[in-house]
Amino acid sequence: MTGQEYAFVVLALVGTVGAVRLVTAKNVVHAALYLVVTLAMVGSIYLVLGAEFVGWVQILIYVGAIVILFLFGLMLTKAPIGRESLDNQQRGLALLVALAVLAGLVFLIQDAFHWGDRKMNLVHNTTGEVGRSIFQHYVLPFEAVSFILLAALIGAVVLARREERE
Amino acid sequence: MNPTIDYHAILPELILSGTLVVVLVVDVFLRPPRKWLAMPLSFAGVLAAFVATLTLIGADRTTFGGSYHVDPFAVLFKVFFLSVAMIVLFLSLRYFREGRYYQGEYYFLLLSSVLGCVMMPSSRDLLMLFISLELVSAPAFLIAAFRKNDPRSNEAGLKFFLIGVLSSAVMLYGMSLIYGVTGSTNLYEIGKALAGHLGGQETLALAAILFVVTGFAFKVSAFPFQFWAPDTYEGAPVPVTAFLASASKAAGFTGLLQLMFVAFIHQAAFWGPVFAAFSIFTMSIGNLVALQQRQAVRLLAYSSIAQAGYMLLPFALAGHGVDKEAFAAAVTYILIYAIMNLGAFAVVVAVSRKSSALLIADFAGLMRNAPLLALAMTIFMVSLAGVPPTAGFWGKFFVFRAGIDAGGIGIALAVVMVVNSVISLFYYLAIPRQMILVEGPEEPMRSPALVTFVAALAAAAVIAVFVYPDLIAHFPPLSTLVGS
Amino acid sequence: MLGDYLPVLILGGLAFAFVVASLFASSLLRPSRPSPAKLAPYECGNEPVRLPKGEKFSVKFYVVAMMFIIFDIETIFLFPWAVSFRKLGLFGLVEMAVFIALVFVAYVYIWMQGGLEWEQAPRPMERTAAEGEQEEELLRAG
Repeated sequence: MTGQEYAFVVLALVGTVGAVRLVTAKNVVHAALYLVVTLAMVGSIYLVLGAEFVGWVQILIYVGAIVILFLFGLMLTKAPIGRESLDNQQRGLALLVALAVLAGLVFLIQDAFHWGDRKMNLVHNTTGEVGRSIFQHYVLPFEAVSFILLAALIGAVVLARREERE
Repeated sequence: MNPTIDYHAILPELILSGTLVVVLVVDVFLRPPRKWLAMPLSFAGVLAAFVATLTLIGADRTTFGGSYHVDPFAVLFKVFFLSVAMIVLFLSLRYFREGRYYQGEYYFLLLSSVLGCVMMPSSRDLLMLFISLELVSAPAFLIAAFRKNDPRSNEAGLKFFLIGVLSSAVMLYGMSLIYGVTGSTNLYEIGKALAGHLGGQETLALAAILFVVTGFAFKVSAFPFQFWAPDTYEGAPVPVTAFLASASKAAGFTGLLQLMFVAFIHQAAFWGPVFAAFSIFTMSIGNLVALQQRQAVRLLAYSSIAQAGYMLLPFALAGHGVDKEAFAAAVTYILIYAIMNLGAFAVVVAVSRKSSALLIADFAGLMRNAPLLALAMTIFMVSLAGVPPTAGFWGKFFVFRAGIDAGGIGIALAVVMVVNSVISLFYYLAIPRQMILVEGPEEPMRSPALVTFVAALAAAAVIAVFVYPDLIAHFPPLSTLVGS
Repeated sequence: MLGDYLPVLILGGLAFAFVVASLFASSLLRPSRPSPAKLAPYECGNEPVRLPKGEKFSVKFYVVAMMFIIFDIETIFLFPWAVSFRKLGLFGLVEMAVFIALVFVAYVYIWMQGGLEWEQAPRPMERTAAEGEQEEELLRAG
């Protein structure tokens, strides 16, 4: 195994443990923090695969911003932070579905790429190349994204505002 | 190399973008009694975009490096979406003004969603399609929850959002796999790559197609992704429901048409049967559950699920040698369905001023209190059931004929469709029965002029299209994507 | 390219090793005689008297959080843009200007709507004098 593969195995293991703890944690704040672990490991795997920009975006946006929003949400909604209160009785079913999805995806990916008989050449996908691809080829989607962001923000403000009815 | 941009080709989108920013900014400076002015402003913008689209008729332009096409298919749907937007604006004026909802923000969000709809039929790139779909959905989640004081509206927005986001995630995963297998995000390139040898990745490609379809199946509320629709339709403001059931649903179908008939057409033997199952379950479940509804909007919600089943039927015929006919039948059905459905919602908007619960029983005596609305509603219900002399008949007829021409499974599907149409008569006629036969309290109903206008216009269109089906059926065969 | 991250990794490893080593070393060297006064939080705030119950945070925090995310995403797009700025030229500049202007509209909107104003101070501590006294007693006892 190359150093890269060792790094992958370590990151994947830590990420998986984080993900399992995320859904089994009794305390929702702990769950949110386990989410940080999982997302950071995903970001690191992107780095190991040579997708530098995506890796850092993953860490900046997800670890840095989305989890913050999670925690804000917990504070704002008076969600019971204690134990068990957010648990519903569907654990068995959820486990079954999750295992089925896992088995399906493992089969599909394995069927298409096989175990380790394919040497992938890492593409040096630098930030500059990503930039050129976004700003030259995908101009329209890029500008459309600003409308989605705008709409999301305006809508969030409207829904969050207290009614001032006379 | 910076791309050369064909600004004429994207003029409608540019006008719409400008309008929605102006609406938002102007609204900030309007005093509360004048907030409704956002509606005429939005209308002017949509009308300008509509005119700009008309100048593109007959065009066949490509811009942004082949990811954005303005061809007859795109223009047909752009005209359609902008017309629907104008009608929804008409329906919204009094509703939002009297409810004192956030009007400027509402029109801004509605136009954002319309912008997504208008971009959808031009998007011939996975990334572009995804962004368009999100632009249609994201503002729609929010305006579905606009009746903030009603828990049902909160529920409407939340359910729509959760299921929408989940299906988007599945779709995006599928798109990434498609890119992995074919090495391209352009639909035509993907079509070429999937026609060739995939080097042992066929199964993965097929699974990826299913994932992508999931995202759109949610949008068009096909079984088994239809659960959100009744609750969302019921809780959302009625004009928003009208928009969701017509434009938003049609946007999902335009995306699906492009994906299936351009990018994935060589795999039709695989996904055809999947769509056949989708179609049968969607129409049957929609119709059977609709039979038990007591509330008008829920009834229309299940009806719209059932109608989605009829629109999915032509997809199942792909690869049986009738691709062109099936494609045209699907497009025709989508257009006709939108007219009759918008008309029905116009009447519901009018009735909602009298009774916000909108039970079917609330329609009692409408024939005497508002004969014009009652007559129009009867026409829409008959048309939705697909009975002559209405446009709905032709919609079903073209789909039926495509099924028969395809032979084999097509005939079976056509038969299922006829059986379903007969079942649907029972609930569609429940509303006319209330309006005409059941005595209601005698109180003349005053409906806003714009709403009455929309209902009358749609009713006239439904009858006119029955007499001259070419008014609509002329265009879809000219704007086909099959074989391109 | 991955080699570029090696110094970062080594630094991280060293920092981790240092923390473990110094904690371990001090646990060997220090005497351990805990007393209640020693275990009390020192210069880390007061011992909580009760958990905040039923007090909702102002929903305005949510708007701030949303704004943070939106502008965070906007900033992310600036990275690849800045790196390839020279190659993109004026076209890239205009593109980014349009993008930022659109997101900025949201900022103007929130500002004009008073979303950034906190005129009603987040509810001051609504505690009765009796409660306050109780608290003081507890503190003295602690």
